[in-house]
Amino acid sequence: MKPSQRLLLKKIVAHGFLLVALALVVLPFLMVVIASLRKGNFPPNGLWLNPNQWSFEHWKYVLNIPFSEIVNPSTGETRVVQPPTPPLHWLWNSVIVSAVSSAGIIFLSSTAAYAFARMRFKFRGHILQSLLLLQMFPAVLALTAYYTILDSLGRQVEWLGLNTLPGLILIYLAGVSTNIWMIKGYFDTIPPGMEESARIDGASPFQIFVRILLPVSTPIFAVVFILSFIYTMSEYPVASAVLGTPKTWTLAVGASSLLREHEKLWGHFAALAVLSGVPITVMFLLCQRFVIGGLTSGGIKE
Amino acid sequence: MSQGSVNIKDLVKTYTDDRGRPTFTAVKNINLNIDNGEFMVLVGPSGCGKTTTLRMVAGLEKISSGTISIGDRVVNDLEPKDRGIAMVFQNYALYPHMTIFNNMAFGLQLAKKKKDFIQETVTRTSQALGLNQMLERKPQALSGGQRQRVALGRAIVRNPVVFLFDEPLSNLDAKMRVQMRSEISRLHGQLGSTMIYVTHDQVEAMTMGDRICVMRDGIIMQVADPLTLYLRPENMFVAGFIGSPPMNLLKGKVQQRNGGLHFAENGEKDTLTFPLKGSLQTIASKYIDKEIVFGIRPENITNEPKEGSSTPVNMTVEIAEPMGSESLVYLKSGTGYVIARIHGEHLFHTNEQVTVQLNLDKVALFDPETEQVIS
Repeated sequence: MKPSQRLLLKKIVAHGFLLVALALVVLPFLMVVIASLRKGNFPPNGLWLNPNQWSFEHWKYVLNIPFSEIVNPSTGETRVVQPPTPPLHWLWNSVIVSAVSSAGIIFLSSTAAYAFARMRFKFRGHILQSLLLLQMFPAVLALTAYYTILDSLGRQVEWLGLNTLPGLILIYLAGVSTNIWMIKGYFDTIPPGMEESARIDGASPFQIFVRILLPVSTPIFAVVFILSFIYTMSEYPVASAVLGTPKTWTLAVGASSLLREHEKLWGHFAALAVLSGVPITVMFLLCQRFVIGGLTSGGIKE
Repeated sequence: MSQGSVNIKDLVKTYTDDRGRPTFTAVKNINLNIDNGEFMVLVGPSGCGKTTTLRMVAGLEKISSGTISIGDRVVNDLEPKDRGIAMVFQNYALYPHMTIFNNMAFGLQLAKKKKDFIQETVTRTSQALGLNQMLERKPQALSGGQRQRVALGRAIVRNPVVFLFDEPLSNLDAKMRVQMRSEISRLHGQLGSTMIYVTHDQVEAMTMGDRICVMRDGIIMQVADPLTLYLRPENMFVAGFIGSPPMNLLKGKVQQRNGGLHFAENGEKDTLTFPLKGSLQTIASKYIDKEIVFGIRPENITNEPKEGSSTPVNMTVEIAEPMGSESLVYLKSGTGYVIARIHGEHLFHTNEQVTVQLNLDKVALFDPETEQVIS
């Protein structure tokens, strides 16, 4: 085989591999999109859509636009379909919960990470290690405890109990240990020199944190924010246990309610699933411009 | 006027781990008095405790025991900003996200100075440092020398009574280093402030310091002005550290021969033996038949006899490094080699036999046990 032929072969193999990988990611998504546009509630079953099967009924359903549906084909009797709780309301709940939780997680984990990275105190190493251990258990393990805590909390403070979004946010805020490690890891790469010179310049620890460390750490905050946002947006087990009334459901809980045992509304579900990607995409595009390297360059000679 | 004097008394720094158990003692009970307006250089190999000492003066490192006073205030428990100090770091430590103006103004802004005052001070300082054209740029757009000048400016605008320098020139290239060296010396002349300057470079120490404090393993080996340090080192460490190339230290014995005292170098071949003359005789008389270290600087080994007591020795050239007007000649000796700095435009060749004169007026004898000078 000539070298040029070998190169060609290599290229074909490499591109083939990439196409397979791409298909694995993209095809399921396309199937869901197509299912959301198919008339009737069928599970995603292919990439082909007959032109006469086109319908926006599922999208009208999730976007809360009333539409009529034929109930009895023989008489042509129709009825106006309107969801009992508009799915957009669930989407809004999800966005609120995710945005507030992510912001809270950033606040809690960055301040904690600052202490772990820069201050020396007793049991610092042990606390860090136990954080690492703690995060190895999935949050679902503590589900019953969360339920009981929120239940009794709700008796004292009504807006923080079961069936409330603040209650759910409170539980999400507990999931900071991974983020503390992640942000601490980033802080550790920032040479302490500029914080020391800020200290000599007269800055308090809080001023150093806000005016020196935060501006050069935006990339890691963007990453933590987007990861938390995605997690809380799609989190189901805790949300489904905490939120009992349809009014308070998040998108994940609401969407799963469309797949009842005897009535699986696959089309509605598919449309809602695609819709749930919108806030994540928007957030990702917003955060992306903060994820840039070289923020500390120029200040410190390595 | 003693507001800028720095007194370090019984200073100890022991590092501890998270649980408070001692791990390493970096500074072991040092005492040092720095006068107002003095340029004091702390010099020593890495790990000698010089930077730790400086950081304790700055307030960046907690003091384990002992006291540090600036002026007549004990500053042990004062925050860095309240100590009247400013510091220039080795790695510049500028704020990368701020403009040069804000880098320099940051301390004044935190101190809530008036805007006009900040504007005026920063502008004046940046002009003096030749930075006024780049006040709106960020550190990234500046060269290494310019960045260090910004760090210098940031220290100056705070108008401190004591400047602290932590190896400020080690990150610069050789040419810029020489330039900044004289710039800092000039600054010292203009401001008259006390300056404490940490370096591992003995050339920097010798050229800049009013006095030099040589440290090793957390202990001060000698504090003196550059010339005293050079001429009368108190111990073998200082003798071997100061000077480039450093002092030759020959191990040998004092022997009594022909009614006079001789120095006989240890070793099997090429050993040096020569008579000890003048005051050396009295010094060496306590060490007859005992080990002794004979120290002589390369400059005091010449190829022509000088006034006073010099003694000729025949030696073999091992390597020669011609530098133009002078040559560094490595001469074989019993325990290695002896470096001689020989003036004159002469090319020395390997294995050439030369007769050199040892200037016995300028030698130091050390006790090999204590490593201290014998006098």
